[in-house]
Amino acid sequence: MDAIASAIRVGIDPHLDLDEYDPAADLMVLNFGPQHPSTHGVLRLKLYLDGETIVKADTFMGYLHRGKEKLAEKLTYAQITPIVDKIDYVAPMTTEQGVNMAYEALLGIEVPRRALYLRTILAELQRIASHLLWVATMSIDLGGALGGGTTVFMHCFRERESILDLFEELTGCRFHYNTHCIGGNRHDITAGWPKKVKATLDVIDSRTAEYESLTTGHRVFRERMVGVGVLPGDLALELGITGPNLRASGVDYDLRRDAPFHIYDELDVQVQTEKAGDCFARTLVRIREMRESIRIVREIIDSVPEGPINGAKPVKSPTQFKAKGGQAYACLEGPRGEVGTYVIGGGDNRGASPYRVKFRSPSMHALSALPYILPGHSISDCVAVLGSLDPILGEVDR
Amino acid sequence: MKGVDNPEFHELLKSRFGIEDFPKDAPPFVPASRHRALTGLLASEHGYTLYDFLVASHWPAVVSKKEDDPGDPEHYEVTTGLRIPARGSKLAVWRVRVEIDGTMPSIVDLFAGADWQEREQFDLVGVRFSRHPDMRRIMLPEDWDGHPLRRDYAIDTPHPPWR
Amino acid sequence: MNPLEHPLLRGLIYAGVVVTVLLIIVAWAIWFERKFAARMQSRVGPTLVGPMGLLQPLADVLKLLQKEQIIPENADRVLFLLAPPLTAFFAIATAAVIPFGPEMIAADLDIGILWILAISGLMVFPVWMAGWGSSNKYALLGGMRAVAQGISYEIPLVLSALVPVVLTGSLSLADMVEFQAEHGWLILWPPGPGIIAFVIFFLSSLAEANRIPFDIPEAESELVAGIGTEYTGVNFALLQLAEYVHTFIASMVAAAIFFGGWDFFGIAPGLHWMVLKTFALFFFITWIRWSFVRFRSDQLMALAWRWLIPISLVVLMASACWVFWAGV
Repeated sequence: MDAIASAIRVGIDPHLDLDEYDPAADLMVLNFGPQHPSTHGVLRLKLYLDGETIVKADTFMGYLHRGKEKLAEKLTYAQITPIVDKIDYVAPMTTEQGVNMAYEALLGIEVPRRALYLRTILAELQRIASHLLWVATMSIDLGGALGGGTTVFMHCFRERESILDLFEELTGCRFHYNTHCIGGNRHDITAGWPKKVKATLDVIDSRTAEYESLTTGHRVFRERMVGVGVLPGDLALELGITGPNLRASGVDYDLRRDAPFHIYDELDVQVQTEKAGDCFARTLVRIREMRESIRIVREIIDSVPEGPINGAKPVKSPTQFKAKGGQAYACLEGPRGEVGTYVIGGGDNRGASPYRVKFRSPSMHALSALPYILPGHSISDCVAVLGSLDPILGEVDR
Repeated sequence: MKGVDNPEFHELLKSRFGIEDFPKDAPPFVPASRHRALTGLLASEHGYTLYDFLVASHWPAVVSKKEDDPGDPEHYEVTTGLRIPARGSKLAVWRVRVEIDGTMPSIVDLFAGADWQEREQFDLVGVRFSRHPDMRRIMLPEDWDGHPLRRDYAIDTPHPPWR
Repeated sequence: MNPLEHPLLRGLIYAGVVVTVLLIIVAWAIWFERKFAARMQSRVGPTLVGPMGLLQPLADVLKLLQKEQIIPENADRVLFLLAPPLTAFFAIATAAVIPFGPEMIAADLDIGILWILAISGLMVFPVWMAGWGSSNKYALLGGMRAVAQGISYEIPLVLSALVPVVLTGSLSLADMVEFQAEHGWLILWPPGPGIIAFVIFFLSSLAEANRIPFDIPEAESELVAGIGTEYTGVNFALLQLAEYVHTFIASMVAAAIFFGGWDFFGIAPGLHWMVLKTFALFFFITWIRWSFVRFRSDQLMALAWRWLIPISLVVLMASACWVFWAGV
């Protein structure tokens, strides 16, 4: 069986036949997970170790598979939002937005300007919150739950809580918002919300410098991350990796600038890239993206136009939206990459349900890089690499 | 196809592959025999180097009551999406029809990401891919029966507790 | 008859007092660490058990003592069960020769510092026994790393601890403290070798005690709990206790041999200075723990072999030359 072309370029064969590996080596099989403090969810990595060096990494997922694509076929278009909240449970706003965008494309429903602005603000705030959580969990992976990592964790979560407070004021939920719907949003901006957003962003902005000094400015952090887990740009493209992982490998590509959706063609999004492709580059890209998101929200929070918040008729019954057929694909730039939804219309309930829905999950593509970049590293590096790719297992398994 | 607008791709299909049928709200069909050639051409000459998505859907047999309408046998449709990772990013989406006993040509050697995506579609829908180095289930346990995203798989199919 | 005249009884009484006081202080050192960590992380820490959470260590100990002992089926019972008590024993045994005050020392051995180094060097064995006997791959990896780290960092530990020996001309800790009471603290005079030796001693002690940033053998994010993965209840408590006791003893030894022990420039010498200095060092160690992420194994080894060992050799030679020429 011919090896995968890019594997030859990288020099690593993910389907390595261990019988052909050095027969004198005494390979130890270590099961990393699914129950483990650092696998970011329930992920099982079967690592073949030669001493402490990984020779082959086999990935097993599906521990969190909940059959959401099948469930989407049973529910109607109007009922799907609370379900997709739980796919990417760290950034629910972007998944909700993505699915509703695809359904709106299929059903041909226009979203009013006010809702577009609000969706953009929510998406960027969610990106900040998600990257804060990533910094927190990355520090814990590196520094231990009883150690310096926890300090960064607690501080980042304190900031994230203030963003979740903003969301709570708007939607009523700290988490799993169910605020996007077909045609727009369900919850409109309240009176004092923009002022609170600006105040929160000021606090986060002033503390981002502190996080940088605790992570990228920290000598031991740099030693653990620089040069570790290098992901070549062309391998990343072949694997379908998007988002900060791809941008850290030198590929200048961001859906917000290159395939603009909503109002991003009016905003000038500065895309952050790094060339090195190692864990440290991914850290830098994410922290800079946080700053960029803060800047974007500050730019538009005061200029949200007046108007309706929803372009569709008020929903009186779950089977209100029907589609006889047709196929649509809509995607957006989430904190982890391209979150896309492919929907085929014309399903059950006389067309009120989709026929087939596929949630394109950026974390699954990111994880598929593991068999390529892990061999040759040690277990400590495995933890660092896995954390830096920012996988969310809810999104991987759906 | 809704949400995707790429006239240059349709021009390419017309000129190089002789495809004439471009439905308004669905991706065009490409014969299975030309799938690998199209993928290779897009990747090497037109800059579509980002492997975007792979979706397979199951279409049960449609039996028509009219005499002159042959109906539609049971088949799969496999949709592939590729992107140009640069400004003005365009998405090329096309479908391949695979009969129920047939196999879909795999593009694993052209795009490494197809490895897991094809495994997932095999696992959940049941489409077989040819020349895949490691075709096994990815989401569900190895000893699972059936493919859940098929239209004839009831959502409440009983299954034994996973050990 | 005065019980203190009889050598065996005197030994037992002194040992009892030292061990009891040490364990009590270490338990409250755990409380202090948790409160300090909480404040650093904008939390409050333990507050419910007792005023300001002061009885929290007691609650923790009682909880761990009443837990069920689970021994894995494939574990080597002897190694598995023997390792934690041995670790704790070796950790506490080093407290025998530390001068707490002008005449307060449990056993004024001539070989003071050598006793401490030897016993803490022996601690590598029970750690290895725990890793091997657990029949768990994570514990095995943790044990391997701990042994490698332990034996690597013993060398700079010994070499840097020899600097006060050379400068004072005696192995006994009590003699070293009295020397510093006369001639000034070793960290200040002679200028140079004292500070460098202290830094190396400090880093090596952190590594020997498996404290962050050198805690790769118990790296929770990689190895679940390293060598302690399969331990429950009393044995787990003993392993944690051993780590804290070791850290504490290292602070006490450093306070004694580099910072003058119970002496403070001749002002009111006594036990209180020793306590203060130990706590200052322990505070510093805790501060480091809750700010740093950990080193990777090979980076740790590189630090020991490429930097600490050569520098400590140079410093040792420098102190020997100083003694020879300055004749102090």
